[in-house]
Amino acid sequence: MVPTSPRGHGPSGRPPAPRNRRPGTTARTRRRRRAARGAVQLRLRTGFVFIAVVLSFFGARLVQLQGVSPEKYATLAASEGGTVTVELPADRGRILDRDGKPLADSVDGRMVVADPSMTRSKAHQLARFLSRHLHVDYFQTLSALQKKNSRFAYIARRVPASLALDVVDQARAAGFKGLDTRDDPVRSYPDHDVAANLVGFLGTDGPLAGLELAFNHQLAGTAGSETYEVGAGNRIPLGRSTIVPAHNGTDLHTTIDEDLQWYTQRILRQTVLGARGESGFAVVMDSHTGEILSLADYPTYDATNPQASPKKDRNSLAMTSPYEPGSVEKVLTLSSLIDAGQVTDRTRLVVPGQLQSGDRVIHDWFPHGTLKMTLAGVIAQSSNIGTAKASRHFKPGQLRHYLTRFGLGQRTDIGVAGETPGLLPSSAAWDGMTQDRVAFGQSVSVNGVQMAAAVNTIANGGVRVSPSLIQGSATNNLGEPIGTDHATTRRVVSANAAHQMTDMMERVVNPDAGTAPGAQVPGYVVAGKTGTAQRVGPKCACYNGQFTVSFAGFAPADHPRFTVYVVVQNPRAGGGGGSVAGPAFSKIMGFALRRYGVPPTGAKPSEIPTTW
Amino acid sequence: MSSTAPALRARVPRLAGAALERARLTVVPRRTRRRTSPVPFLLVVSMVAVGGIVGLLLFNTSMQQASFAATSLQKQADVLLARQQTLQMQLDQLRDPQVVALKAQRMGMVLPTSPAVLDLRTGRVLGTPTAATRLDPLRLQAPPPPKPAALNPPAHVTVVQPPATHQHAGSGATHRHTGSTTARHHQGSGAHGRNHGFHTFHSTPSGNH
Repeated sequence: MVPTSPRGHGPSGRPPAPRNRRPGTTARTRRRRRAARGAVQLRLRTGFVFIAVVLSFFGARLVQLQGVSPEKYATLAASEGGTVTVELPADRGRILDRDGKPLADSVDGRMVVADPSMTRSKAHQLARFLSRHLHVDYFQTLSALQKKNSRFAYIARRVPASLALDVVDQARAAGFKGLDTRDDPVRSYPDHDVAANLVGFLGTDGPLAGLELAFNHQLAGTAGSETYEVGAGNRIPLGRSTIVPAHNGTDLHTTIDEDLQWYTQRILRQTVLGARGESGFAVVMDSHTGEILSLADYPTYDATNPQASPKKDRNSLAMTSPYEPGSVEKVLTLSSLIDAGQVTDRTRLVVPGQLQSGDRVIHDWFPHGTLKMTLAGVIAQSSNIGTAKASRHFKPGQLRHYLTRFGLGQRTDIGVAGETPGLLPSSAAWDGMTQDRVAFGQSVSVNGVQMAAAVNTIANGGVRVSPSLIQGSATNNLGEPIGTDHATTRRVVSANAAHQMTDMMERVVNPDAGTAPGAQVPGYVVAGKTGTAQRVGPKCACYNGQFTVSFAGFAPADHPRFTVYVVVQNPRAGGGGGSVAGPAFSKIMGFALRRYGVPPTGAKPSEIPTTW
Repeated sequence: MSSTAPALRARVPRLAGAALERARLTVVPRRTRRRTSPVPFLLVVSMVAVGGIVGLLLFNTSMQQASFAATSLQKQADVLLARQQTLQMQLDQLRDPQVVALKAQRMGMVLPTSPAVLDLRTGRVLGTPTAATRLDPLRLQAPPPPKPAALNPPAHVTVVQPPATHQHAGSGATHRHTGSTTARHHQGSGAHGRNHGFHTFHSTPSGNH
């Protein structure tokens, strides 16, 4: 920088001016300077005072806002509507069948609401318009639109969003005022009653039954939220906003085959009604994987309109209602006995007309004198006496151990809430009389899938595979992992014992030797077993004269693909397992084999002798 | 040092005048300052300022426009998603096995009872092919709910009424109402066309007996 002097320089030759005297400063300028300096001081002071006054106002306001009544001002600010928080609802996961077809689906939906104070004047025309387009009841809509002293009325709930928005837009274009829509997700059950007892349904506030309830945590997901600034009711485009994203629910993949389930339900209904039964169920199971392709219950209900059916019809009786399996249980008893090395399928037995068991007498379902039956004959003719007599070869505790290995007395944990474990008498209560009765399926109770899985053990060569209703893995509300990923297998009886039992079961459907010729599937070799059990009444806790008739079997017998189990409770039209459940088994099994393209193996059914 | 200062001053006149002249401090001559016009500078500054403001405004506007476009596109996407979901729902309802089966049965289709399988590798026919029949159709509809007793007058009245000449109709009615398994269905069908209901349900009880 070039140093400059405000006054120029002094004449040359003069000695340098002393420090305290500036060259050329006169007394006048000094005086003026002093005055100016005073003015600066004054200005500064004035400025400071002004700033202090302003700041003190701010301070006072701050104390007023924060110290005196902060809540009041906070609520005032919030009510001013600077920001708005909206919920971002999570999509509920679907419930799918094994091919990914939805059994329960979520659809973006709206409720249509009206402001009666605005709609009252044109209520008649609007009600006609809405009843035509939204398929709502004209008179209900009319009274809703005319409601007095109200500014809110429901017109329709859970309408698919596109329909609701279209209708409201059309109404607006037609000159009707006072209609609006709000979020109201729709849960659709496209197949109505198909698998309804398993899938369950959603109420207004949440799931009320079935898988919808048991897997709610997984299906529901978590809702998010969004906060943003609004001005004059509109969102400020670049205003502050925070988004907590919603986590959608996870789909639940079941092992159910929609079409097979539908067919099974129709056949079951036809069967139960034909037998004038009280209820019934049918299970179709993949013999090797244990996947449940169909689990049908009757009575059932329409999942889109659950209120139309009584509450007791809305759960799965197959899973929740224990019953005595009757003669089907003989399959487990005698295959265990063969596995224990005590008998073979050709063991010759003398079957008397009655058998003393403690203070009771065991009878067969048909009166007879002393018969000479092979073990195959005992199965084919379903002899209680023959089974009880043979089972006396078991060592103490052996039969109970086998039945436990078959899965009796334990939950299957396929994912249905409220499953009954059934009842297998404890070791302490297990005496000779109990064993005689358990051997042919009395004094022991089971649930449907449990029993199907036990019989399937024979179909699967003696290895029990745990049944599954969920594909892959899913977590229920209790946090338990459930599904095919967690399926277990265990050997219960030897392959040889299973094979001998299969041969004996093939005789059951033989028209000459067996009790269930109606269970045959044309072209295929079928192995099965009938069951006609006395039923324990809920009130007297005794056999009340009603029956449980059933048929369990698998096909093709030499290379089993499916295990089917059909049970009808209290068939008032009479008939046993062979005549009531057998034909239903035949139809369901035939449909399943056709559907999955299982060719006949060309094998001949077993000719093992039943008498000697 | 202060003692040497007067001596130094006394010695100064003896130094050469030229050196003295050289040693004297003078003020650096003032640089002549050309006064340039402030207009270009102000112009540049104001141009930068205006350009910045206008650019910012344009940028902001375009951001707002993009935001509006995003909002409207989002709305459009929501509407389309809702439409897609509704159509999917309709499709699922049309694909309901019950709906398909009802349509198929109305067209006269029946379920096969025992088809044969053709093995393409060997050319062999497995199983015995049998033609499907309509003798035992699958009952697709649930029976109508039973009427309350008050709405269900005893059916025997119609059996008694016809004179002996109408024996044929009388025996038909008797058969209908003694078939205990189908009592419910007749109650339901009674409300509709009488002949129609009779023929529809006749095959079912005979199949069951």
